[in-house]
Amino acid sequence: MNVAARILQPSVKVTGIAGILIGLLAFWLALPPALVRTPVIPVILGIVAVAAGISVVTRGHLRLGYGAVVAGVLGIVLGLLAIQSGETHLRMVFTWGGLLAATLSYATPLTFAALGGMFSERSGVVNIALEGMMLVGAFFAVWGADVTGNWMLGLLIGMGMGGLFALIHAIWAIHFRADQIVGGTAINFLALGVTGYFFIQIYGNDGTPDLTSGSWFTGESIPNVNIPGLGRDSFFGQVIGGLNLMIWLSIVALIVSYVVLFRTAIGLRIRAVGEHPRAADTVGIDVYKTRYAAVIVSGMLAAMGGAYLSIGFVHSFNQNMTEGRGFIALAALIFGKWRPFGAFAAALLFGFSSALAQQIPPAYSDSSLSVLSSSSLFLILPYVLTLIAVAGVIGRSVAPAADGRPYVKQ
Amino acid sequence: MTDSTPVLELRGITKRFPSIVANDSIDFDLAKGEVHALLGENGAGKSTLMNVLYGLYGADEGEILLNGAPVKFSSPKDAITRGIGMVHQHFMLIPVMTVAENIVLADEPRKGGIFLDHAAANARVRELAAKFRFDIDPDTRVERLTVGQQQRVEILKALYRRADVLILDEPTAVLTPQEALDLFRILSELKADGMSIIFISHKLHEVLEIADRVSVLRRGKLVETIPVAGATEESLAQAMVGRAVLLQVEKTPHSPGAPLVQVDDLYVRDDRGIEKVKGVSFEVRAGEIVGIAGVDNNGQTQLIDALTGLRSPESGSIVIDGEAYDNPTPKVMTDVAGVGHIPEDRQHRGLVLDFSIAENLALHDYRHEPQSTRGWLYPGRLVASARRLITEFDIRGGGPSTAAGALSGGNQQKVILAREISRDPKVLIAAQPTRGLDVGAIEFVHRRLMSERDEGRAILLVSLELEEILSLSDRILVMFEGQIVGEYTPAATPEELGLAMAGASSHEAVA
Repeated sequence: MNVAARILQPSVKVTGIAGILIGLLAFWLALPPALVRTPVIPVILGIVAVAAGISVVTRGHLRLGYGAVVAGVLGIVLGLLAIQSGETHLRMVFTWGGLLAATLSYATPLTFAALGGMFSERSGVVNIALEGMMLVGAFFAVWGADVTGNWMLGLLIGMGMGGLFALIHAIWAIHFRADQIVGGTAINFLALGVTGYFFIQIYGNDGTPDLTSGSWFTGESIPNVNIPGLGRDSFFGQVIGGLNLMIWLSIVALIVSYVVLFRTAIGLRIRAVGEHPRAADTVGIDVYKTRYAAVIVSGMLAAMGGAYLSIGFVHSFNQNMTEGRGFIALAALIFGKWRPFGAFAAALLFGFSSALAQQIPPAYSDSSLSVLSSSSLFLILPYVLTLIAVAGVIGRSVAPAADGRPYVKQ
Repeated sequence: MTDSTPVLELRGITKRFPSIVANDSIDFDLAKGEVHALLGENGAGKSTLMNVLYGLYGADEGEILLNGAPVKFSSPKDAITRGIGMVHQHFMLIPVMTVAENIVLADEPRKGGIFLDHAAANARVRELAAKFRFDIDPDTRVERLTVGQQQRVEILKALYRRADVLILDEPTAVLTPQEALDLFRILSELKADGMSIIFISHKLHEVLEIADRVSVLRRGKLVETIPVAGATEESLAQAMVGRAVLLQVEKTPHSPGAPLVQVDDLYVRDDRGIEKVKGVSFEVRAGEIVGIAGVDNNGQTQLIDALTGLRSPESGSIVIDGEAYDNPTPKVMTDVAGVGHIPEDRQHRGLVLDFSIAENLALHDYRHEPQSTRGWLYPGRLVASARRLITEFDIRGGGPSTAAGALSGGNQQKVILAREISRDPKVLIAAQPTRGLDVGAIEFVHRRLMSERDEGRAILLVSLELEEILSLSDRILVMFEGQIVGEYTPAATPEELGLAMAGASSHEAVA
């Protein structure tokens, strides 16, 4: 096909993706800063998106086509809703700088835990115990920082305890070949019990003490990174000007995880063990050692997510403070098809929904619509997204072939 | 063969398992550049011996010598580093990874100590593939390759690790006849290149074709090691089974009766909606065996599915004993029409492996008297009728409550035969009835099919094995690309049938 023909007849894929983007644009134009106030524009753009979607569907790309149709319809509905809503309200919710910064902070614990889950599951061990490992990381990071007076030691102690709980999971899953879902659930309850017990024993009713604010090398809480030269009023300044160190570390962990898993010999071996352990065994890879290592790394990463929550974000510990984030991280992992950047994108989506849930109710506190002003309703948003994700909206997500299957050496 | 020290020598290898001596003081040697076949029935100890050699099992007694020096392998890694490569019967490949990734796994070329050097891996694989004229792209994912190509990847895996001894475990079991020929060409080239090859098989004609020497194992003991030159299929079969075996079934003259199966202009689609059976018509009479020959995937599976009610035909008619079945279901075809089915995949379709023999035998009849009344099952009656069938069909290796999965392939097939034949079907459809079975079991199945023919049943035999088709059938139909391209008598030669199976006659018609 020559170039001219290619431009005149865009490929099905391009049409589908364009349709989805146009659908999103229909909604976005009704929000600040564009703040289009006429219903015509979202409706027209939405119809274009739907039309593109239908044409894609008729040409056989069902998933992409229906995606564009849904994006178009959502664009129209949400766009019209936004136009109905008062401008001041919209400006309060969609302060993009603050919203994106909040998205990043809500996404970070999920990113760490999802990356952890990826190592474990890529090696063939299902890790439903991410939740527990996060919780253990959260508590022992506070305890460690409190006892040693240094957030770095606190973080390391939290990671060590996360790794220890992961080792327990690994022994059950690999050595005793126990059911990994049942074993993981037990670890979650164990973590809940252990952290709850020590929390009450050590800190009682007063709760954890105030952590001294951190700098690079001292202090009990993890410092924020203030980037010099980025004004607090500029857009970039609002988004990344004062993020917590752990948020940057999660990006580093993301890149390192990708490189290790897909660009190194060790990564190839981890994936081989998770896909076909017997094949790995016959070329001389130690399946058990590989799996133990991957599960322990998994626990340490999940614990980093927990430590960020406690000594990075809220500066204290509460019982069951992870509140299911480990499970959402697992959903992000599945949503992201067991790939690092996919999982990160899913974590951002969940983070965004949490940030939105945080912003909407106060903005609409004067509204007569109790639906908008009630904060508890919006808190379910990430969980609803989780359900949609697990139902496989993004396409069939195929787990590593030997995920969850214990290996028996001949 | 050379007179120098053997590349590999096994001396007095004994391996005991709790209930059985799998290898009893076996001596085995391999000369440089030789193909040495290891022949034996399932359970004779071939695999155990090779697992000892490959470091998967430790031997209880005996020693392994490599180029005259004793060695000890405690893991496959030891064996690999000493130049022993193994192509397992079930491929040890990771479907979602590329050819190159599979080949270099655990011995990866690296950049800077830790990073995987994809370019170097691809180049090395390409170089090896070119040397042996393998048509394989290192960047293709293994799941997209044919079975024959996957086997070549396995061979490349061994070559990449610089193996000079190559063990092939039942390498042709999964191949089509054409792919098997390709494999033999590759093996002769490897041999010319100085590779020493151990070829494990229970197919006699292959051993005669490819091997220089053959060692026969029976019940864990070495029977003999002889040059292939003086051996015949009959002599090898006798050594393997321990008694004279009838390789050719005795065929009584057939006297066909009324047509029991009449298929007219049948069209069937597969799961993806592709037309696989395109206007097939034939009939099978009472008391005759009609064989359908053909290369795999030419519509045989879909034809059988339609005849057994597992798949609805697009159009055309199926008439069994005078009754037309337009939209057949499996229940109607088995219960009403009286069609018995020996499925081609006995472990997935033929049996529930976790169920007991008695339960498997009752899979059809559990809902009728005497097995059950008004939905109430009588396990005792299941067991009683299972006992009868186990005796009649000589099912060995367990009683009525043994799980079907614990039986050998031959005995699993006997369970299926017992179930289908005991229901007294008018029509019996046997798909690949002896695939993967050893000589003794093949003989049993063939004799039984023959005697069922003489009982007056109409038998449709679908097989990829030409020899089987030729020795059992009264009439032979050749299927190619969904059509029946020719009818032959059993006097036809394998060459004639082979040409038709490859579509030659239809091509000639066009030209």
